[in-house]
Amino acid sequence: MLNKIAGHEVDRRSLLKGAAAGGLGIAGATMLAGCATGGASSGPIAFGARTVDESPTKQLKGLIDAYVAKTGNEVTYNATESNAFQNNLSQYLQGTPDDCFQWMAGFRMQFFADQGLLVDLSDVWNEIGDQYNESYKIASTGSDGKQYFVPQSWYPWGLHFRKSMMAEIGLDPESIYNWDDFMGALELLKGKGLIGLASADKGGWEAMGTFDILNARINGYQFHVDLLAGREKWTDDRVKEVFAYWEKLLPYMNTNVLDLEWDGAMQLLLQKQAGFFFNGSWFGANFKEQSQEDYDDLWIVPFPEINPEFARDTIDAPIDGFCVAKNGANNAGGADLAKFAGDKEGMQAMLDTGIPMTSANKNQDTSTYDPFQLQQLAVMNEAKYITQFLDRDTRPDFAGPIVGPAFQSWFKDPSSTNAILESLQSQWDALPPLA
Amino acid sequence: MSMMVKDKKKAHAQQIKDRFISIFIGIFALVWLFPIVWTLWSSLRPYSEIRAGGVFSPPQELGLFNYTNAIERMDLPRYFWNTAIITIPAVFLILLFGSLIAFVVTRYSFKFNVAMLLLFTAGNLLPAQLVFIPVFKMYLAIGDAVGDRRFLYDSPIGVILIHVAFQMGFATFVLSSYMKTIPKEISESALVDGASVFTHFFKVMLPLLRPPLASLAVLMTTWIYNDFFWALVLMSTDNKRPITSALGRLQGEFVTDYNLLAAGAMIAAIPTLIVFFILRKQFVSGLTLGSTKG
Repeated sequence: MLNKIAGHEVDRRSLLKGAAAGGLGIAGATMLAGCATGGASSGPIAFGARTVDESPTKQLKGLIDAYVAKTGNEVTYNATESNAFQNNLSQYLQGTPDDCFQWMAGFRMQFFADQGLLVDLSDVWNEIGDQYNESYKIASTGSDGKQYFVPQSWYPWGLHFRKSMMAEIGLDPESIYNWDDFMGALELLKGKGLIGLASADKGGWEAMGTFDILNARINGYQFHVDLLAGREKWTDDRVKEVFAYWEKLLPYMNTNVLDLEWDGAMQLLLQKQAGFFFNGSWFGANFKEQSQEDYDDLWIVPFPEINPEFARDTIDAPIDGFCVAKNGANNAGGADLAKFAGDKEGMQAMLDTGIPMTSANKNQDTSTYDPFQLQQLAVMNEAKYITQFLDRDTRPDFAGPIVGPAFQSWFKDPSSTNAILESLQSQWDALPPLA
Repeated sequence: MSMMVKDKKKAHAQQIKDRFISIFIGIFALVWLFPIVWTLWSSLRPYSEIRAGGVFSPPQELGLFNYTNAIERMDLPRYFWNTAIITIPAVFLILLFGSLIAFVVTRYSFKFNVAMLLLFTAGNLLPAQLVFIPVFKMYLAIGDAVGDRRFLYDSPIGVILIHVAFQMGFATFVLSSYMKTIPKEISESALVDGASVFTHFFKVMLPLLRPPLASLAVLMTTWIYNDFFWALVLMSTDNKRPITSALGRLQGEFVTDYNLLAAGAMIAAIPTLIVFFILRKQFVSGLTLGSTKG
């Protein structure tokens, strides 16, 4: 299935064209929806948010309020802290779930769709599908070819840096195109006594982003998804090469990688102790919280090219969105709410709350983007393929409990690459087949 | 004369020994106190300062702002209430059933009473993580059978029941070992006076069990109050969960404000501290229960 998450190719022109066409499509779709659903979506709907953070809560409540105002349906809003929600999702879906809930695209959605715990949303896609690029539809599709997910927003993984700091040093990161340029920049930073690339892996997942991008750059998108889906072997020489490149980055990293969680590495960037920080752009919210000045100073460029054959054609850009639970009390209502959330109207309701969002809907007016968001979009648009991040692209019982500790032990002893990869492969082989 | 010198020497040696022990105990006390003091210290500082300067940076701003913020975000009254409606009935039922079983297995001799005591105590040794899936499935099946999925699952009743089931073994064990120390003659005279089984239990045994019941009540309250696991896996609606999960509300998906979390942890610890200080005599005697008697 994973090999189908492909074909993301947007440039600004097609985006605008899409926006115009989508606008027309919506008018028709909402009119149709008005006469078609009506009664089917009545009855109280329960909505499950997987966040208790202030900004996203405001955003989701804006969405729900707009939905209630439009349809008159009653919606209860249940919020759970994201880690607790995620760890308990399997029980949640088998027990008494909310009708519509927040979740993630890709393998993490397919895993539950395959168990029959999610409602088929193909009808919703028939109505609002023209507002999305093909890549989003593929990421929303289960292994049976039906859609189970409605996208909300995304964020890219890239090389982040502080503009002011780079200007001071005399580096122009935008001109870093390939590996040699990057190594040159890192060497320069090291010469100034700075950390080249701030890194963390205490949580076990932070370094997965670095593995994703190195593998995609060196071996290409197809090999990467095949590897994560178990169609390629971890003991392959191509995987060893990824670690060989990774090892070249080690001298430029902070020495306490395993002692820091992602926010520790972020602090190194914030405090101008490190030049680059490879991470998802969501941490920009932290810079903004610190001060507008820090946020304005933040910038992102794509990870450099390593193998010219693949250039910079792949990016990790996890998509968040909505699913409808089969065991909920009101499937039709849940689907109706999911449709509204994915529709232009719902997206607008979320944007109207003033919380910045890079929406998956191609109708979003990019004039609402601040410069950093526009740059994220540009980084995203350079890529042809979207991946969802290692722990979203492979089996949950493989990513967290097996890959995480394996990468951590690699940081402890990079010379043991072969042994670690062999153990990774044998642990993959030992996993029970998916139901 | 020489005797006195010898005594002085002895006293002096004892003094040194005492001092040495005091220093030793003092160091340990500091080591134990350190995390709490550090949490308290963190809870008074803003996260933005830590982010900009690191944890060891000198403080520029100290105050109770994290506490007001935590109280607001944790929705405290609701979650304290949730905890209360789980903890109070659970502790009451554990003590009631525990003392009943202990009464039967110690006062009446029949073939299986030792086996029964073993069974109840052994149940206590099962790790919760091992049995939660079957319990979860059972709750759903019972819910489906009565026509309401939220009958036990996602309901305080279900969580109370599982606590009762899990803690009763320990309560039975403690109460039965205490009951063995109560002279058999008391029971015999009650029987001679014509007391029924119920009178025997409620009027004679129960009043004598007051000390172990008090200390068990303290222990059970602290344990159930601190539980996070069962409420997490057996409840799906967050605003029904107890105070321990409200602490999670202070955590973000990516960003965790540890200073705010520290303030929340201090607040959540207060009720256990209150219970401990009110009943600390029972708490200590509870820990040594049965170690000198029987």
